Amino acid sequence: MKSFINALVSVILAVTFFFGFWVILDHDYDWAAIAPYSGNLFSGWLVTVGISLAALALSVVVAAVLTVAQLSSHRVPRVLSRAYVEIVRGTPLLTQILIGYYLIADAIGWDSRFGVGLVILSCFSGAYLSEIFRGGIESISKSQWLSARAIGLSEGQTYRFVVIPQAIRRVLPASAGQFANLIKDSSLLFVISVHEFTMQAREANANSFATFEAYLPLVMGYFILTFPISLLSRHLEKRFSYEH
Amino acid sequence: MSIEVHNLHQHYGETRAIDGVCMKLPDSAQVLALIGPSGGGKSTFLRLIGGIETPTSGTVIVDDQELPKEEEGLLDYRKSNGFLFQAFNLFPHLSALDNIILPLTEVHGWSRHKAEERAHEVVKRFYLEKHLEKHPEQLSGGQQQRVALARAVAHEPALLLLDEPTSALDPEMKAGVLDLIKELCDAGQRIVLSTHEMGFARQSADHVVFLAEGKILEEGKAEELFEASREPKVTQFLDRVMKW
Ligand SMILES: Nc1ncnc2c1ncn2[C@@H]1O[C@H](COP(=O)(O)OP(=O)(O)OP(=O)(O)O)[C@@H](O)[C@H]1O
Ligand SMILES: [Mg+2]
Repeated sequence: MKSFINALVSVILAVTFFFGFWVILDHDYDWAAIAPYSGNLFSGWLVTVGISLAALALSVVVAAVLTVAQLSSHRVPRVLSRAYVEIVRGTPLLTQILIGYYLIADAIGWDSRFGVGLVILSCFSGAYLSEIFRGGIESISKSQWLSARAIGLSEGQTYRFVVIPQAIRRVLPASAGQFANLIKDSSLLFVISVHEFTMQAREANANSFATFEAYLPLVMGYFILTFPISLLSRHLEKRFSYEH
Repeated sequence: MSIEVHNLHQHYGETRAIDGVCMKLPDSAQVLALIGPSGGGKSTFLRLIGGIETPTSGTVIVDDQELPKEEEGLLDYRKSNGFLFQAFNLFPHLSALDNIILPLTEVHGWSRHKAEERAHEVVKRFYLEKHLEKHPEQLSGGQQQRVALARAVAHEPALLLLDEPTSALDPEMKAGVLDLIKELCDAGQRIVLSTHEMGFARQSADHVVFLAEGKILEEGKAEELFEASREPKVTQFLDRVMKW
């Protein structure tokens, strides 16, 4: 029975792959049609890289603030940050982009699409990242706290010298994964016309009618960004799993 | 050494870990051993004497100073002591050397240079020179405990508190750690320890306290308590643990 299922799965996978490759390979490519837009595609790719890096930096800041608030001994920051994280994680990014741009940014009179997109993406990713950070800090065992207390470290010193250095190692793999998500999620910013990679590919497609020639580079462009990160994340995971 | 305890209680919810303990240690005593059945309250009593926890009620007086109830004063008191637990004392992200140096520089405000010099002294005394750069996971349990002991005594603590320092170790490693503790005793270090090593308690302790169900059942000079206990429960316990 088990070998039958294995065989069936193998066949289905093989057929799917074959069909996929056949569609891609059999297509009658007309690269000349897309050539005039290659500069735009490349600049879109650069915008995606840029906005992802900037959002990474900003989302670490957002996540740090949220994490401090969640670990606070006061109720108010705890409840507020919890509510924020739940709302952000419980609603689609697309909705947040639309509301963030057309309602909130509009109300305060800010119309830099890149700027607003960057902030929304950072607030979104920061919520996920803060859950990773909190999990990392809470994973440090009670015996570490007890040891730190026993040698006379204050609470702040315990965080600084004992808890955070260990937590950082533990959250690195998941944080790298979150960065890969960030790169992919930035593609949704086309709805507010940020001139990132997906937006440029859509425009190139609309103008040239060369769908394959516009979207194939799009897929490759994202993949060469996310694949190394995924490898890095797996490498980090292995490396730190030996330590414990 | 003067330790006085007045009507001490420590309750965790329904559990009365320490349930009305009164004790006055004779001034001549330099090494106090806590013995008794598992769950009797030895670790809790040690944490209270060491200022790691504050009691539900009652007072602890060490060297004529009542232990403060608020965290700040307690932190200062903890700094003057050394503490060693059964296991997991060390910080896994730091080398053996840095484990010893961290409290010297950050808690006691020594210069890096002075701390390193001191660390090298204790490390030599504890036969750990070869293991300075290793991280805890690269050390055997016995070596880890010796590093932790080195860390606990590096700042010359007024009082050294040891909670079953060898009960997680193999017999051979046990002997190594007990030898070091004996050396500290002979060098005049004031020590309070909880232990299941009756032979060791009998040899090194001046005064022995038998704790069961959060109360002191019997206390006295080591030889008196071990040779001629008046409490049937204590005699029974000793007979049982000394049998093998
Ligand atoms: N932090 C805590 N929270 C709740 N209960 C606790 C806590 N610490 C100790 N206890 C309980 O208090 C009682 C005394 O525990 P304690 O660890 O002091 O005993 P012990 O004499 O050290 O035992 P052992 O020889 O097994 O180490 C036990 O019933 C234990 O379950
Ligand atoms: Mg104990």
